[in-house]
Amino acid sequence: MNNPTNPRHALVYLAAMLVTVLTFPLIWLGGLVTTHDAGMAVPDWPGTFGYNLFLYPVSAWVYGPFDLFVEHGHRLLASVVGLFAIVLCVIAYRNESRGWLVKVCYLFLGAIIAQGVLGGVRVLLDARTIAMIHGCSGPLVFALGSFIAMASSKRWRLASPKTGSNGLGRVAVMLLALSIAQLFVGAHLRHSLPTWRPLFFMSLVHTHLLMATLILLAVLYVSVLVRNFANSANRELRTPANALLVIVTLQILLGFATWVANYATPWVELTPWLAKYTVQGKGFWESMIVTGHQATGSLLIVCSLWLACRSYRRVPVEQSAEQSVASLNNEPESTARKVFRPESVSVGVE
Amino acid sequence: MFLKQIPPLNSLFSYVLAIWALACFSGCTPQEINFRPNELHVASLSQDSTDQQVSELAKKASEHVGELFGTPDLPKWPSEIADVVDMVKVKRSAGPVGRDKSKVEYGLFRKHCVQCHGTTGDGQGPAAALLAPYPRDFRRGSFKFKSTPMGKKPTHADLVRTLEKGLPGTGMPAFGTLNHSVEFAEDIDALAHYVRYLSVRGEVERRLISAIVNQENAAEQVKIIASKVAESWALADSLSVKPPRLITAWVPEDRTAAIERGKAIFLSELTACSKCHGKLGDGDGTSQDYDEWTKDWTIRAGIDPNKKEEWKPMKRFGAIKPVLDSSRNLTLGAFRGGETREDLYLRIVLGIEGSPMPAIARKENDNPGVTEEGIRDLVEYVYSLSNPVTGANPVTGANPVTGGADPTNEKGAENEQSN
Ligand code: HEC
Ligand code: HEC
Repeated sequence: MNNPTNPRHALVYLAAMLVTVLTFPLIWLGGLVTTHDAGMAVPDWPGTFGYNLFLYPVSAWVYGPFDLFVEHGHRLLASVVGLFAIVLCVIAYRNESRGWLVKVCYLFLGAIIAQGVLGGVRVLLDARTIAMIHGCSGPLVFALGSFIAMASSKRWRLASPKTGSNGLGRVAVMLLALSIAQLFVGAHLRHSLPTWRPLFFMSLVHTHLLMATLILLAVLYVSVLVRNFANSANRELRTPANALLVIVTLQILLGFATWVANYATPWVELTPWLAKYTVQGKGFWESMIVTGHQATGSLLIVCSLWLACRSYRRVPVEQSAEQSVASLNNEPESTARKVFRPESVSVGVE
Repeated sequence: MFLKQIPPLNSLFSYVLAIWALACFSGCTPQEINFRPNELHVASLSQDSTDQQVSELAKKASEHVGELFGTPDLPKWPSEIADVVDMVKVKRSAGPVGRDKSKVEYGLFRKHCVQCHGTTGDGQGPAAALLAPYPRDFRRGSFKFKSTPMGKKPTHADLVRTLEKGLPGTGMPAFGTLNHSVEFAEDIDALAHYVRYLSVRGEVERRLISAIVNQENAAEQVKIIASKVAESWALADSLSVKPPRLITAWVPEDRTAAIERGKAIFLSELTACSKCHGKLGDGDGTSQDYDEWTKDWTIRAGIDPNKKEEWKPMKRFGAIKPVLDSSRNLTLGAFRGGETREDLYLRIVLGIEGSPMPAIARKENDNPGVTEEGIRDLVEYVYSLSNPVTGANPVTGANPVTGGADPTNEKGAENEQSN
């Protein structure tokens, strides 16, 4: 059963990947709903203008007003993701030997349903604050989905908890915490209430910038760490670390662009281009940039989680295989686990 | 559970849950959206009042105005005063964002504008403090880029122009894209009506506050004030100045000569343009002045806007840090009121209300001032600062250097032919 190459495990992994990959466009669409303030474009829920969600005429949806198109599309895709989450639970229930992972799948399904209900409540009460909470928990659900994908991967089964000190892991978890906190602040900026005083909003912006700096520093630190270590075990950590570097760079550029797209720059007299720049209210590219910034934020969370998982569960490298076996055997929890070596591959038996 | 697999995630998880729960609870107390009483105006008119007196007086004025004009969710228009807004459009712009069962969209102002201009139209939306210049406070009834003389209200077309084109170099967006799709095509028009509504409401409130401070009877005064303010808006269209048709396709020598004459006027003592805009028009002048919105609660209330210790106490009434309204660098070609020669003509002849930029002194009878020809030369000079003489032949559009057509001049050439 615990054989890492068991095709039944691959099934769980595939299903988890599928749901996760589908959740990302869902986050985009949800972001577009906020960018276009389309949350109330459809005033009822769970129906759409009195129709059943799935029976709302396609032509009325596609050729309807843009805000309605986005909101109804978000609802449709959300229900598709919900259906796939059910499929994932069934597959996990039948194929996954680790009870805790099956439970995480149930938790994920529950989270998706809760998220849907929260979205519905937001519409029924027309409450912008609930919209903000809905926007905060969206990426968390996405992260949970990707965690299932990570935990059901072949690598996870091959790996074992890291023993000893783990500086990199701690940075990764800190990064994860920071990027989640950053998500909360960002969601506040996007869902600011008209009653807020300018100085409160300003302090949120400053917090957002400060945390962006911290996150950038943490990512730079991580990429130095994974490169400097002589230990080739760290090679594996380079993938998530590199991904983080790319995402953080992209995210900072997008953040700057988001500000410019919404509020122009403060240095207008610098060049004729800046002086002539006019913010485009609800322009297409502008809304894509703003939405992209929040969607990339959720990727940042997922990648930090990825790095954390990889640094807390290491796959022993062949050279140090002997050592690893020894250390594994000292660990009561993982006695059943075997180190992956080519000769130990066999057809899985339950 | 799975958290045991990665121990630090355990504490992280509970942390996130806690923040999330906190956000839920803080969010479950929906704040009512209402017009904010104009405490800053009360405070600047009556310096000796205590905070409580200020807030009571402001509230009193706000209530009287509320009886006539309703709330942000349910706007009203008193039948006694001039009918300068279309209430159907005002109602569509008001209220929370969303569509009703028949797919009509409401809440346009909260969808597009509230972030900067605030529910009250006081220029104190959440993002306001981070913008330079600050978003317009409609309550003063003053607008910068319009076709009517100083002290007069903008026309509907002026407001629509600002909304469609935006104001380059400021946070004020261009909403022209709304016109491209059928379902949003009416929105700008509706929003312009709402700006008028907010402006009338706010100006009535301001004037009522002055009346109350002067011990006048609020209940009597409010209707008189309301009809005066509405009347001033009703007059706007008849006061609109139409710019003359200015030459776009110049004979190069004539243009150079006009620019030279215009430059002399720009540098003259009479116009003082260069005092503010600098000898080269690059905004290098010495003038350091504030706009009228800032002066209202600083200089006019005996507060020096340059001294932080003096203006800071006003922050508790909603004031934001005074910022200089510096003279524009004219060489960048970023004109907020529009970049055609006709637009510049209007700016120069009418000035920019609320900012230090004055209307030009015109020669009338025996008054010293600039003649109509002089103004046209001045316009050409200002225009040339960002559209210099390139040497292209404006009639054929051929550029003597490259020999190809100069796209920027094609329009001019067409105009010349059609004239
Ligand atoms: C991103 C912030 C922002 C948003 C959103 C915004 N504005 Fe503005 N608006 C400004 C700023 C800043 C100014 C002042 C520019 C200046 O003083 O040169 C301004 C000025 C104005 C003016 C005054 C123009 C004049 O001639 O004085 C009007 C009217 C106006 N806005 C209406 C609106 C309306 C209606 C909306 C919503 C459809 C809106 N604004 C959305 C920032 C914004
Ligand atoms: C007292 C100082 C002062 C004087 C004198 C002055 N200006 Fe200005 N001017 C300003 C300021 C301040 C602004 C920016 C106004 C704003 O947008 O708030 C401005 C803006 C402008 C603009 C930009 C208009 C737009 O559409 O954005 C032009 C053009 C201009 N001035 C031309 C002139 C000319 C020509 C003269 C002489 C007749 C002149 N100014 C005299 C202060 C001055």
